[in-house]
Amino acid sequence: MLNLWSTHQFWIGFFDALGIEARRIEFSSDTSEDQARTHAKGRGTVDCCYPVKCVSGHYGELLARSKRKIDILFSPMIYSLPSFLNGHAIDSLSCPRVMAAPENIKAGFIKERDAFAEAGVRYVAPLVSLGDRPVVPKQLYAGLMEAIPGITAEETKRAVDAGYRALETYNARLRAKGREILEWCAREARPCMLVLARPYHMDPGIGHEIEVDLQAYGYPVLWSQYLPIDDDLLQWMFGPDIAAGHIRSPFDIHDVWPSSYSANTNEILWGAKYAARMPWIACVVRMSSYECGMDQPTYSPVQAIVERSGTLFFSFQDLDSTKPAGSVKIRVETIAHYLQKHSAAIIQRKQAASPADCPLGESVAHRSATSG
Amino acid sequence: MSIGEAPGRGYASLQKVRVVTETAPVHSPKRPPPLPGRVPSGPAGPYRAYKPRPFTRAERDKVTILFGGLHWRAERLIQASMENLGYSTRVLPTASRADLLTGRELADIGQCCPTSFTTGNLANFLREETKRIGAEQVADNYVYLTAGSCGACRFGQYHQSYELALRNVGLESFRMFLLGQNGLDQGAAQGGGLELNLPFTLGAVWAVVLGDIIQDIEYQIRPFEKNPGETERVTREAVDYVYEVFRKRPRRGEKWVALAWHALTRYFVDAMREVRVRYDAIEVDRLRVKPVVKITGEFYLQTVEGDPNHNIHRWLESEGAEVYPAAVTVWLDYLMRLEGQNFEERFGIDRSARLKYAGIRAVQALLRWTYNRMRHALADLPREMPDQFELRALAAPYYNARLNGGEGDMLVGKALWAYHHKKAHMTCELSPYSCMPNTMSVGAMAGVLGKHPDLLYAPLEIKGDAEVHALSRCQMILTEAKKRAQREYENVLERIGMTEERVHAAVAARPELVRATHRVPRYGVAGTAANLALHVAGGRPS
Repeated sequence: MLNLWSTHQFWIGFFDALGIEARRIEFSSDTSEDQARTHAKGRGTVDCCYPVKCVSGHYGELLARSKRKIDILFSPMIYSLPSFLNGHAIDSLSCPRVMAAPENIKAGFIKERDAFAEAGVRYVAPLVSLGDRPVVPKQLYAGLMEAIPGITAEETKRAVDAGYRALETYNARLRAKGREILEWCAREARPCMLVLARPYHMDPGIGHEIEVDLQAYGYPVLWSQYLPIDDDLLQWMFGPDIAAGHIRSPFDIHDVWPSSYSANTNEILWGAKYAARMPWIACVVRMSSYECGMDQPTYSPVQAIVERSGTLFFSFQDLDSTKPAGSVKIRVETIAHYLQKHSAAIIQRKQAASPADCPLGESVAHRSATSG
Repeated sequence: MSIGEAPGRGYASLQKVRVVTETAPVHSPKRPPPLPGRVPSGPAGPYRAYKPRPFTRAERDKVTILFGGLHWRAERLIQASMENLGYSTRVLPTASRADLLTGRELADIGQCCPTSFTTGNLANFLREETKRIGAEQVADNYVYLTAGSCGACRFGQYHQSYELALRNVGLESFRMFLLGQNGLDQGAAQGGGLELNLPFTLGAVWAVVLGDIIQDIEYQIRPFEKNPGETERVTREAVDYVYEVFRKRPRRGEKWVALAWHALTRYFVDAMREVRVRYDAIEVDRLRVKPVVKITGEFYLQTVEGDPNHNIHRWLESEGAEVYPAAVTVWLDYLMRLEGQNFEERFGIDRSARLKYAGIRAVQALLRWTYNRMRHALADLPREMPDQFELRALAAPYYNARLNGGEGDMLVGKALWAYHHKKAHMTCELSPYSCMPNTMSVGAMAGVLGKHPDLLYAPLEIKGDAEVHALSRCQMILTEAKKRAQREYENVLERIGMTEERVHAAVAARPELVRATHRVPRYGVAGTAANLALHVAGGRPS
């Protein structure tokens, strides 16, 4: 749930280094209406965005498990996130609702009786600034010393290092896959599409698998969090902006988003810039959830960044518990229709506006057209 | 089939309704109907964020700085402190319902209501000025100064709403600057027209402190004044007087000297003594039994007095309550506590962390000391600031102190502080519709109420346009608070063995007790009347 969609590999690596191997870690199921109906009843405390509301169902499900019963419900309050934009943006904070969700949701489980104690489960929710690596060992040691008796500060530090290594390895693997896809698109002169969303939209109950429906039409789908960030590629894409003094590095977003405090928001804005400069990303699909206050101010700039590059832009806003299957189907068909009709021209126009010598390589057809 | 204007004669609202008047194709057969969505025409220039042109020092004489968003006393005194430094300023009018609608119309959908109010407020002001002097003059003659934030909530992204609104009203060239909340001396900003130096910051902070102190006594006196309207009049006179005091503030140095002067001078203390003299003349009847209602919540909504929070302060007073307003100074103290916590977390990691932490604590101590000096000048009648570390400790079981945005753990801490120390009978918490961080703190209050079911807590979600819902919700809790205040008073009478008539007679026999600035000590009960009854009976203060 929530930030675990982008940090779960850190936690697996971290706990593994502490001697709690992956098979002893139980994740709650994907979000679903059924999960909420069964396990979140009476646990709500306040009306808020849909992804945070769903956390009650996740907690309830974990507490109710009869098979593979859990001993500790670990729900970190992730204050800041590790992001490839760290050092280039002002900060790397989590959404204020997402970071505070464990406290909010906990209240629903203790307001009448302590549901954790009744289930024989210890609730552990340390605050952790994953975007600020030096403080993480201290935070996690303080947060876990009661739950894991005998844990030392030194082994916590080693485990934190292992966690970051696991996360970096995983991210690098997905980015390499992203590059492979873009190289294929360049070679075959085929379009792909980019999803601009928060990591938790990968949860089928939150993002409703809209991108899966789109992929069924044969278009490769990339997520902005895992775009390739190899230097050759970024210099090719952002070099002209750097040379013109608009930005200081390929990861700089202050030209489009001066208040770059929020990690996920920053990545969405950066992803939009990336899509605007990548010829084979012919279409961007934006997803956001019901009452997402973080996304709200970004609607106009993200759309403007994408559309002004001549890239198709479609958005699915206010996603909620119910998948509007009919309207999603119609919109997916519309997107597919537009891609089929316009992608070749979009790629051609964006290529013409891009610098020469793309490091992804280019199709034979394009090379002969431009040389002839 | 074709579409035309509806006849609707006599009904202006109907005249623009499009109706089907005949059968004909809507689209020309030669031109296929457009598909939904947009077909891009090709690469245009890349999108760039709004970047205001500099406000230069040379322009300072002819450019007026616009600002707003606080309570009117603090705004007026900040205005004076800026004029003292040579700036021409203008306070925006308090946002109205019309501003809310404009804000919703001009910025992206789904924004929180303070964003809608403040965006619409600026846009409507500029529209009116544009009608008067033209867009070019507006862009040249005004700049807007607003608080920024280092947080991840939309408060840190307000500029995006303003920017969009400015574009939508055709004022892209209008200049707007963000003032960081966490910077004391930010040096010359954006061309040197606005120098965010220490005299600027100290003037603004002292203006807030004095404005808060005046607000606090005003709210303690008005519900009990014998001559209706007197408190209002005296408050306006007092603010006008202190306005002149700030306008004539002596210039003493730029950095440390300025800080030392502000910290040690009697200049502002004497001004507050004069304010006390003015309030002294008001006669009060503090034996009117009223529930004390503490206001907490999101910064803008708890601070502003007007449409953005359904005029909740005045409404509560009209319903028979004594309002305990939220001081902006407490917010400043909280921001410093947050900053200190950042350093606290780095103890053992960053060598300079302890020193920086000590620096923050020293500034916090200076703020508290100054606040107390001003309270003392008003006979200690204004209420004290809560201790931030006590608030943190009270909230800790329910809400982590590091979770910032909105009021964070302070929202929980203040409710518990008011409850445990009997500072109020009820807490009225104001959260904007779709406020991200505040909803989290409010949710955590469910745990608090589970443990303290007798804590009277009215969390109001403010949308700006659902006044009846918000106020009726508040009224339900207020009814219980009134009963409690009455019960508390009756219990006190029973405890001291006096009838109501005897207490009234005892008060009448002591003329100082009807003076507005006489401070009644606290005896461990929340209500003003109950405390006064215990006072005349010779009780021991708590």
